[in-house]
Amino acid sequence: MAEPELPPRNPGEDMPLPAVIRRVARHLVPQKKRVLQAMALIVSWTGLALAGPYIIKVAIDDGIEVGDAQMLNVAIGAYVAVKLLSFLVHRRQILMLSRVGETFLRDLRVRVFAHLQRLSMPFYDRNKAGVLVSRMTSDVDSLQELVQTGLMMLVSNGLLFVMSAIALSLISWQLTLVCLVAVPFVVLASVRFARRSRVTYTNVRDRIANTLSRLQEGITGVRVIQAYAREQGEKDRFAVANHQLFDAHVAAARLQGWYLPVIELAGTGTTALVVLVGGYMVHEGLSTLGTVTFFILTLMNLFEPIQQFAQLFNQVQSASASLRKLFGLLDTEPDVPEAKASRPLPDDGAIEVQDVSFRYRAEGNYILDAVSLSIAAGERLALVGPTGAGKSTLAKLIARLYDPSAGSIRVGGVDLREASTASLRERIVVVPQEGFLFNASIRENVRIARGEASDAEVEAALSRIGILERFRALPEGLDTEVNERGSRLSAGEKQLVSLARAALVDPAVLVLDEATSSLDPGTEALVEGAMNRLMEGRTVIVIAHRLSTAEQADRVGVVAGGTLAELGPHEQLVAEGGHYAALFATWQGGLTRAAS
Amino acid sequence: METVVSTPAPDEGRSGWRLLGRTVWEQRGGIALGVTAGLCWTGGKVAVPALVRQAIDRGIASGSSEEVARWALWIGLSGLVAAIFTGLRRYLAFYEARKAERRLRNRMFAHIQALHFAYHDRMQTGQLMSRANTDLQAVQGIVTMIPLTISNLMAVVAATVIMLSIHPLLALLALGTLPFVNVLGKRFSSRLHPAVRGLQEESAQLASVVEESVAGVRVIKGFGAERVQHSRLSKEADDVFGMAMLAARVRSTFLPAIELVPNLGLIAVLAYGGHLVLAGQLTIGTLIMFNFFVLFLVNPLRMLGQIIAQAQRAAAAGERVSAVLATAPAIADPDQPRQLPELSQGAPRGAVRFEGARFGYAGEGDAQVLGDFDLRVPAGASVAIVGATGCGKSTVAKLIPRFYELDAGSVSIDGVDVRELALSDLRSNVGLVFEDTFLFSDTIAANIAFADPDAERAQIERAARLSGAHDFIVELPEGYDTPIGERGFSLSGGQRQRIAIARAILADPRVLILDDATSSVDPEKEHEIREAMAEVMRGRTTIVIAHRPATVALADRVVLMADGRIVAEGTHAELLEHSEAYRQVLAASEPGGRHG
Repeated sequence: MAEPELPPRNPGEDMPLPAVIRRVARHLVPQKKRVLQAMALIVSWTGLALAGPYIIKVAIDDGIEVGDAQMLNVAIGAYVAVKLLSFLVHRRQILMLSRVGETFLRDLRVRVFAHLQRLSMPFYDRNKAGVLVSRMTSDVDSLQELVQTGLMMLVSNGLLFVMSAIALSLISWQLTLVCLVAVPFVVLASVRFARRSRVTYTNVRDRIANTLSRLQEGITGVRVIQAYAREQGEKDRFAVANHQLFDAHVAAARLQGWYLPVIELAGTGTTALVVLVGGYMVHEGLSTLGTVTFFILTLMNLFEPIQQFAQLFNQVQSASASLRKLFGLLDTEPDVPEAKASRPLPDDGAIEVQDVSFRYRAEGNYILDAVSLSIAAGERLALVGPTGAGKSTLAKLIARLYDPSAGSIRVGGVDLREASTASLRERIVVVPQEGFLFNASIRENVRIARGEASDAEVEAALSRIGILERFRALPEGLDTEVNERGSRLSAGEKQLVSLARAALVDPAVLVLDEATSSLDPGTEALVEGAMNRLMEGRTVIVIAHRLSTAEQADRVGVVAGGTLAELGPHEQLVAEGGHYAALFATWQGGLTRAAS
Repeated sequence: METVVSTPAPDEGRSGWRLLGRTVWEQRGGIALGVTAGLCWTGGKVAVPALVRQAIDRGIASGSSEEVARWALWIGLSGLVAAIFTGLRRYLAFYEARKAERRLRNRMFAHIQALHFAYHDRMQTGQLMSRANTDLQAVQGIVTMIPLTISNLMAVVAATVIMLSIHPLLALLALGTLPFVNVLGKRFSSRLHPAVRGLQEESAQLASVVEESVAGVRVIKGFGAERVQHSRLSKEADDVFGMAMLAARVRSTFLPAIELVPNLGLIAVLAYGGHLVLAGQLTIGTLIMFNFFVLFLVNPLRMLGQIIAQAQRAAAAGERVSAVLATAPAIADPDQPRQLPELSQGAPRGAVRFEGARFGYAGEGDAQVLGDFDLRVPAGASVAIVGATGCGKSTVAKLIPRFYELDAGSVSIDGVDVRELALSDLRSNVGLVFEDTFLFSDTIAANIAFADPDAERAQIERAARLSGAHDFIVELPEGYDTPIGERGFSLSGGQRQRIAIARAILADPRVLILDDATSSVDPEKEHEIREAMAEVMRGRTTIVIAHRPATVALADRVVLMADGRIVAEGTHAELLEHSEAYRQVLAASEPGGRHG
């Protein structure tokens, strides 16, 4: 299988780590107080953890060894106190750290989503939907995982390591030197492990993605596979992907399989050395049995964190990769920005398209080439022409889903680039070809067009275009849940919801993209009636796929090869005998053949 | 010949346990090896505290440097053993677990490929995906735990025995509290699980808002619904936050307690044991060893506490997996398949015959789609099936390759009942192009050559030319090698359909069925394909299901269906002339037809 083209690189992918950390810190500023509290809690918790072995040292050296029962009891009391305090601090610490982390994540989610919503259509054309969704799902989830399990371990283990080292050297620098013997091995092994695990785990993640997409294809495509009796071939292909995943997992297990023993051996080896050297020192009166015990017990605490670090490393790495991608997304500027000094679009007025050229990419071909057109208020204009000739693009430019590459579009004298987004969406509404429904009730699906509309307003909008009864007749009326992507409604009913949305906004300008596919005869008439009611009293630009629609418009514009080839009322264009006349003749011919 | 669909009865998870048991049994060799490595680890690990005791009592406390050196060496050696086997134990555990996962996933994939259409109609893709992914992860996890758990359990037993043999009362005091670690671990796990589940659900809901917003971005931009979506997302983000904090609260309740409990044992050891040492009834080394053991046993006990809940979850996951595996394919090869007759060179093949066919998707009952359906298509002929939505015409198409089983009557090809043919034989002789095109994430060439991956480029191009796909393919960045699908180049609906038709042409079937296969192709473009299609249809039986009169006119004969029956039959011209119902159906589907 050929490898798919590499997706365009994300901005922010090569953001250096310090910059990522600074950025995170900036996001944490609003929670400054909580962050400081959490830090204080972690420091005290770590301190308390170290106090345990120290108290045992005191109990041995100053109590047991010298036969002082009083001192032993004091030490035991202190131990009890330390552990109870540690218990309470630990509880607060988990809650505080989680609160900081989860609040950060919630804000990040909302912020990233808000930014996604602000980005304009060209951005959505450039990026695949699946990739955008994964920013908000798998990328944020990998951070969530870190916050939930890794973060506390990471912070407290790091701290524990540093504080243990200090405590050890304060109590016996000679024995600390002995422990340092293990350091080169641990460092070398950890560096090697870190380097390798980066590759290994990236490989595991890629293989998982690959296996899952093969699996998904095998399930969604099962009908085609069975239709062509290709089950065996697909099984073989899947087994290959599955085996590659297995190999990647085994490679990761092997990596851990040699790293863990090194750390484990460093731990026990150091213990053996401490016993050896410490024993000798005790004999020479240079140290005490309590000190040796303190070292043995602390070392036990010390090497466990290193092992955990190694396992966390992978988590931290994928979390920082996710952060880079998310920050990169937040840094993406909208292609169709709202002007700083924006002003509202006038309620009414003609649409002036002046020398508008447009291309999707800076180096691409022009889709529209110097098109000029003026649409009077209240006029109904139909755009016709072959697929890809630019009629939809022209309509989208009028709704400012894109900005022209050259030229300008004005409504009532105001350039669209200077208009405020809110007024633009109120005055100009685009009804897309297919009625896209959200997973909510019919009522909420209509209300999406104007969030603050009351139930009565929603119903009034439906009734204005004559479809209220149709939906009321459903068992649950307007509260009927449409399910995933509106699977409970027919294509025609989805169209009706889409038209009702436009009616709710009640815009001055309506851009209608007529559906190409045919509907069932029952709803077809209803959709047509609703559409006609909706168009009344508005400026309408309809992208017509049926010449019958064009026939009813005030004027027809034929877009071909990126220019407005013909423009005028239906009768005039037919009489002129140009491209439109030819189209109309073919269509009429087809009709006669079909229905004569 | 016919197998019954067996729906596994609820059996309180017994099938899940059986699946786990069988999986382990099949890999008993490897798992036994893992357990052996684990037991060696136990030996090395448990020896260390006991050796430390000797080093202190015989070496450090008694002033013998020789003894110190000897015991330090032993500590180092058992550390080495523990280190080697900790790596090996882990590697073997993961190896076997991943192997089990791989094998089960291959089995599931193969089984899914064999399951009948009716099963896939009922089953959601996401459901099967999560069984072959998340559920298998749970099964994998428990296989990993087998060697780990057994060796942990042995470590607990060995340490307990050693301590009891030295000082039973002190041992009881030291270990007395440890079972609570186990209890707490179990409760922690079962309390945390619902919170984690809830978090997953909330995250999934948030993800679906994101997915919708990205997929429906045209609607959102067109109606200016950004604010509405934003508030929906904020609500979901708050829910996720709430659940995550709930999980954090569970952690903050249990984790500190789990940490505190072993310390109670330590305090008891220190208090009682310390005074015993003072009284000369216990050596200091023994006291330290007890201390050491208590600390060491915390982790194994915690894991043992979690293993039961984890095993229960794995059994539940295993049950869902085995429910898929236990579903017998309802449509399978007959025991003694017949062969399609080899006819003399050049003679037309592929006579299709329906006799008294009765069919309903829910099995025999009132929701019958076809009732006593009879149709005879002579070899090499072409028939168009026309009818309103839901009349059963697509069902007719799907019954020929035996995607569903008839309730009564028969379907035969060249005189052989389809139930008497091997499925691969039947299906490679029937090419069905579905209404919704499914393309694989692969190159265009591989998609066209799906039926025969070894097809030569010339064959692929020929098929593409005939389906009118060649022209746009050569204009793509990498021509026939352009990757398509989710991660590749996006094609329009019409382009996808043309590739699907090319795929069917390349398969060179006796019977070619086009189920509304050109509905998204531009009418102008379809006109071009039509001529090529005539060539494709030559020498094979073709069944066309279509709406457009021009497409219908391609066929020699037209059959009009209504309510699962044939209501009129004849040539296109004849039906146009005589059948009012036929005129109505065509008029409803032709764009603009309602004016004719």
